[in-house]
Amino acid sequence: MEGSSRNIYQSIIYLCGFLLFWEWLRPLSTISDTGSLSVFVGYTAFCFLISMLKLKSWLSFLLKLAGLLFVIDVLFISERMFSKGWFYLIYVHGQFNVEMILNQQWNEMTPMFRSFLFLLLLWLMSYLLYYWFVIAKRIFLFILLTFIYITILDTFTMYDGSLAIIRIFVVSLVAMGINGVASLIDRESISQFGLRKITAWFLPLLGVILFSMLVGFASPKLDPQWPDPVPFIQSTAENAGFNRGNVVQKVGYGEDDSQLGGSFIQDHSPVFQAATSQDNYWRIESKDFYSGKGWEQSTPYNYQEQSDGRIMLKTFRDGIDTTERRAMVRMEEDANLPKVVYPYGIRQIQGMGQDTNFLLDEVTGSIQPEQSGFNGYDITYRYPSFSIDKLQTSSEEDPEGIKDLYLQLPDDLPERVKDLAEQIVVEEETRYDKVTAIEQYFSLNGYTYQTENVAVPEEDEDYVDQFLFETMVGYCDNFSTSMVVLLRSLDIPARWVKGFTNGDLLEEQPQVPDGLDVYQISNSNAHSWVEVYFPDVGWVPFEPTVGFASPVDFFEETTADPSDNDSDVENEQEDEVEQEQEEEEDLTGNFQDFEDDSGQMGETFSEESSTKIWSWIITIAVILAVCFTLYFTRYRWVSYFILKHYKQREDKSVSQDAYHYLLKILERKGIKRERGQTLREYAKFVDEKFESTEMSRLTHYYERTIYRNEDNSGQWDKISELWENLVKRSLS
Amino acid sequence: MTQQIFLYNSKVSKILRNINKVMIGKEEVATLSLVALLAEGHVLLEDVPGVGKTMLVRTLSKSVNCEFKRIQFTPDLLPSDVTGVSIYNPKEMEFEFRGGPILGDIVLADEINRTSPKTQSALLEAMEEMSVTVDGRSISLNQPFFVMATQNPIEYEGTYPLPEAQLDRFLLKLNMGYPSQEQELEMLERTSKEHPIQTIDSVMTKEELISIQKEVREVFVDKPVQQYIVSIVTKTRTHRSVYLGVSPRGSIALMKAAKAYAFIHGRDYVIPDDVKYLAPFVLGHRIILNSEAKFEGITPGVVVNEILGAVPVPVRREYP
Repeated sequence: MEGSSRNIYQSIIYLCGFLLFWEWLRPLSTISDTGSLSVFVGYTAFCFLISMLKLKSWLSFLLKLAGLLFVIDVLFISERMFSKGWFYLIYVHGQFNVEMILNQQWNEMTPMFRSFLFLLLLWLMSYLLYYWFVIAKRIFLFILLTFIYITILDTFTMYDGSLAIIRIFVVSLVAMGINGVASLIDRESISQFGLRKITAWFLPLLGVILFSMLVGFASPKLDPQWPDPVPFIQSTAENAGFNRGNVVQKVGYGEDDSQLGGSFIQDHSPVFQAATSQDNYWRIESKDFYSGKGWEQSTPYNYQEQSDGRIMLKTFRDGIDTTERRAMVRMEEDANLPKVVYPYGIRQIQGMGQDTNFLLDEVTGSIQPEQSGFNGYDITYRYPSFSIDKLQTSSEEDPEGIKDLYLQLPDDLPERVKDLAEQIVVEEETRYDKVTAIEQYFSLNGYTYQTENVAVPEEDEDYVDQFLFETMVGYCDNFSTSMVVLLRSLDIPARWVKGFTNGDLLEEQPQVPDGLDVYQISNSNAHSWVEVYFPDVGWVPFEPTVGFASPVDFFEETTADPSDNDSDVENEQEDEVEQEQEEEEDLTGNFQDFEDDSGQMGETFSEESSTKIWSWIITIAVILAVCFTLYFTRYRWVSYFILKHYKQREDKSVSQDAYHYLLKILERKGIKRERGQTLREYAKFVDEKFESTEMSRLTHYYERTIYRNEDNSGQWDKISELWENLVKRSLS
Repeated sequence: MTQQIFLYNSKVSKILRNINKVMIGKEEVATLSLVALLAEGHVLLEDVPGVGKTMLVRTLSKSVNCEFKRIQFTPDLLPSDVTGVSIYNPKEMEFEFRGGPILGDIVLADEINRTSPKTQSALLEAMEEMSVTVDGRSISLNQPFFVMATQNPIEYEGTYPLPEAQLDRFLLKLNMGYPSQEQELEMLERTSKEHPIQTIDSVMTKEELISIQKEVREVFVDKPVQQYIVSIVTKTRTHRSVYLGVSPRGSIALMKAAKAYAFIHGRDYVIPDDVKYLAPFVLGHRIILNSEAKFEGITPGVVVNEILGAVPVPVRREYP
């Protein structure tokens, strides 16, 4: 009767353990690419069941092993089980994977082997939880870990743990309630636990669970105390470079711009180095379709092979003043940027070191090498300078093809965006004036550049509308997208361009051809800006983002000689522009200083204050963690030192100190000696718990020293062995 | 010392084995009686007739090869019936001392509470003084001398319960208790042909017993254990249910008994376990409860156990 009821309690507790562990497996399909989750859950259930049946250890080992092989067989092996080919396959896999492990090529391990390891882990967990829940009856730690696990996943990943939390809550309350009864029965050695007592115990338990559930459900909940990191990570993930393997993703160049918004972490990992005679923006491609949330490309990419590296890309017309320049780009090996970055006016491109053909999509301006894995190229380009006069006098008759693509706006774009656009340009007449008015609107009206705490539009919100009227803080995507939308609402064709800014001039210049400076461009230089169409000029880049300088030169013709364009032709406006540029450069320079500092501290955050706070938090957390670990494992390491120390000591009080230290450990383990309990009685009690005789034997030696005043240094070997075993046993 | 213990220990266990042959399920009483014998104390057995008190003493005396005497106490028993009388021998023309039953080695004083206090005190005095005085002559008692007195707790009519002060003279007070059904069945089985007492042999001589008693006195009681004994005893004096606590003689008794108990277990040193085990038997009859406690149904055993639970066991010693 007693045994069976205890078995029932143990089974229920262990079942709770399984349910809790299930919660650990559930999110795997969301947060990783684990497939066939049900099979793994099934195997876990199987292992738990076997453990619960308390079979002989060899039998349960065999059963679990058989289950493991069966799962592997079902998932991966088409051969008949236990046939010759089957064993051969297992052997080959094993050999291969062991080799990969020895070479530390973790990614090369086969799915079968990874599943095998995972199943092994499940198996071990079934044993560990059996130990925690049934033998040691210490379930709180696991419950706590489960809560922490789910809350972290819920906070930092896509996994929605709102239901899981409730399940864990109920299951853990049940488990702890029953564990309470079971340990009470054990401790007081109650043999008769009749139906009345069971109801007297379980009805309140049930009541407490239901009540706390109701209270928890009905009570008001505090809003999140810090910005939800999920969209933040999502957005940075989508902006991130091509490092697909990384779990935490950062800012950088990315393909998918359909969901803009959210804060991002600065990532200073280098993407490429460029040697140019003058700094310039690095274009990658443009996008034409604004969805209300972000940018997409309405036409499919149509890559054409460019013969001899002559790039037939014309973003502006031939009559524009240009300077012939040369640039060399060397890609960082791990940057994995699949597209070519190029300056405006690209004419010719040549792969460095290897001969490769380049492909161009004319609409977006996206250039790709035919073979991947190229590491650098040489570009000849004619960098444009735009004559303001020409822009002012440009006709406004846009071709139909341009209108079709670059005037698109979402149907549900709020009216106030259009109203604002008209209001901004109300005094402007030419297209150029309108464009510059809008370009300067942001800096003149208190819009701020900021990478943190940047909002993400809600389901029914427009990205541009939110930025223009509500948040007024953001980074390049906000500014550039807003400018494009504002222009389009005025029927001015515009498109959104992405690429990189000029980057940082390297302090130590590598050996490059004369006249070239080497710039380092990192993921944090990823940028977006605006191109506006002028029928007589072509696409002209504009830079609306506060704190960034315009990528190209604009000049006003005072003489009729167009060849003077990049000489000292200056006038007031250009002065102004330059001053502005200088100021802005100072600003960016400051930013970069910060970034450098934080980079030295090993942090990835851009703003000084948050860097400091974070580094403090992390330092404190690490110290706390170390302290806690030391504190919680104090008996472990202290006993190691004590044993060493005791072995060196000779006097009689050694064994007394050692014995009392052991008593202290045991007391901490919940086996406390009562005041009136003699050592012998206590030792017997301890031995019953441990199912051994070590404590009684040790106590026997100890009794002789303290009650007979005997010197037991002759038996010190035996004593220390017993002592050590007991310490280990009580710490395990 | 250790060797002697080893030597005698086997004999001691043989005595216990003998008793177990005759008495079934009475290991505890047997051990405790042996404790009293080895500690040179005396035992008061309180139990109903027919549970084997006599058999226990007889087995014990036969095992240690001692002379067994029995005094059946009755209301009209005179002190001289216990101690002996001088009788005039006309032939020798002088008084000749005829020793009473108290001059045996092991004496069973049966139903001691049925006799007059005068006779009782004659016995108790003899137990304490180890000698009797008859007609001005002091006659020392045998060595060893072991009294096992019994009293019947049922019949109080016409009895003279031993005064508390005199109970002090007994080292231990024991209860026999009834055997269990199986034990009683086995008892029937064993006694059906011949009584098992016929089959046992003595395991030691009287001299050996005396030297064992000497060894027992030598058993080591360390300071912490002595301190433990004293703590327990003094605690009885302040316990709220106690009217009169245990006297210092009780402390000595507890230590003596503990030494014997340790010896029986093959140890030449006393551990707190010995003290703790023996305390209820040694101290129980030395405590007089106050009337509230009696009214509440508390027994001395309960009090002693409560004290044992509260007095901390010494588990470390001071090293200079």
